[in-house]
Amino acid sequence: MAGISTHVLDTDRGRPAAGIRIDFSVLDGETWRLVKSVVTNADGRTDQPILAPSDAKVGQYQLAFHVDDYFRDRPGTAEADIFIDNPVVRFAIFDPAQHYHVPMLCAPGSFTTYRGS
Amino acid sequence: MATASGGVLAQAGPAPSTASDKPAPLTSAPVSQAGLGPRLTLHAIDNFHGTPAAGMVCDLAWREGDSLTPIKTVTTGANGRPAEPLLTDAALRPGHYELLLHVGAYFAARGVSLPSPNFLDRVPIRFRIRDAGQRHHLPVLFTPWGYSYYRGS
Repeated sequence: MAGISTHVLDTDRGRPAAGIRIDFSVLDGETWRLVKSVVTNADGRTDQPILAPSDAKVGQYQLAFHVDDYFRDRPGTAEADIFIDNPVVRFAIFDPAQHYHVPMLCAPGSFTTYRGS
Repeated sequence: MATASGGVLAQAGPAPSTASDKPAPLTSAPVSQAGLGPRLTLHAIDNFHGTPAAGMVCDLAWREGDSLTPIKTVTTGANGRPAEPLLTDAALRPGHYELLLHVGAYFAARGVSLPSPNFLDRVPIRFRIRDAGQRHHLPVLFTPWGYSYYRGS
């Protein structure tokens, strides 16, 4: 199934990160156009795909993850330890028939993203 | 190799050439920055080839919301590090930063066959400096299909 999905994980706690706002944008010429804002569910995923298969086109896409609030509100987190800063992941769909699962794993001091499945 | 603040990096082997786009042979010991002054340093590691990422262009900017103010552009040397720390002492201010890594161009220069457009092209790394009196070391590990970064030492 084509399209884009994501999965946000708190690797500090070994749990999905729920309640994280994600702004999904597409590159329109030179500017990033916001398509939608969603919030991760209890499993750290989104209830609907980020981008539906029917909307998948070759192009540049961006996921902006609002983790600052999540870490600040997380009990037992020292603000001084928060090094990562509302990460933005930019990637291309090169084949609209393929699915692009782009997880985001983070802790206050580390970040990982990759093309998953 | 002496640094501007007078400390010595615990690294054997010749000083890296800033113009080099060939990674150094992995024959020297890792670098320790213990005892050095406040700074922001970068180490780019190519996890696809298993080498330091030599010859990669990186743009450092100060970030305020979505607005970026360019600070400098550097190219990594043979050891995957720019010749100098990105920022030291008074130049390291608390705030939000973005380092843009030219990953697509890096792999293209290495002749790695990738789709067009590639999954990753220019990779933005956003981080926050809270205490400008500390050393902030930023290792970035990447392949054409993903990347990680963390506050190291």
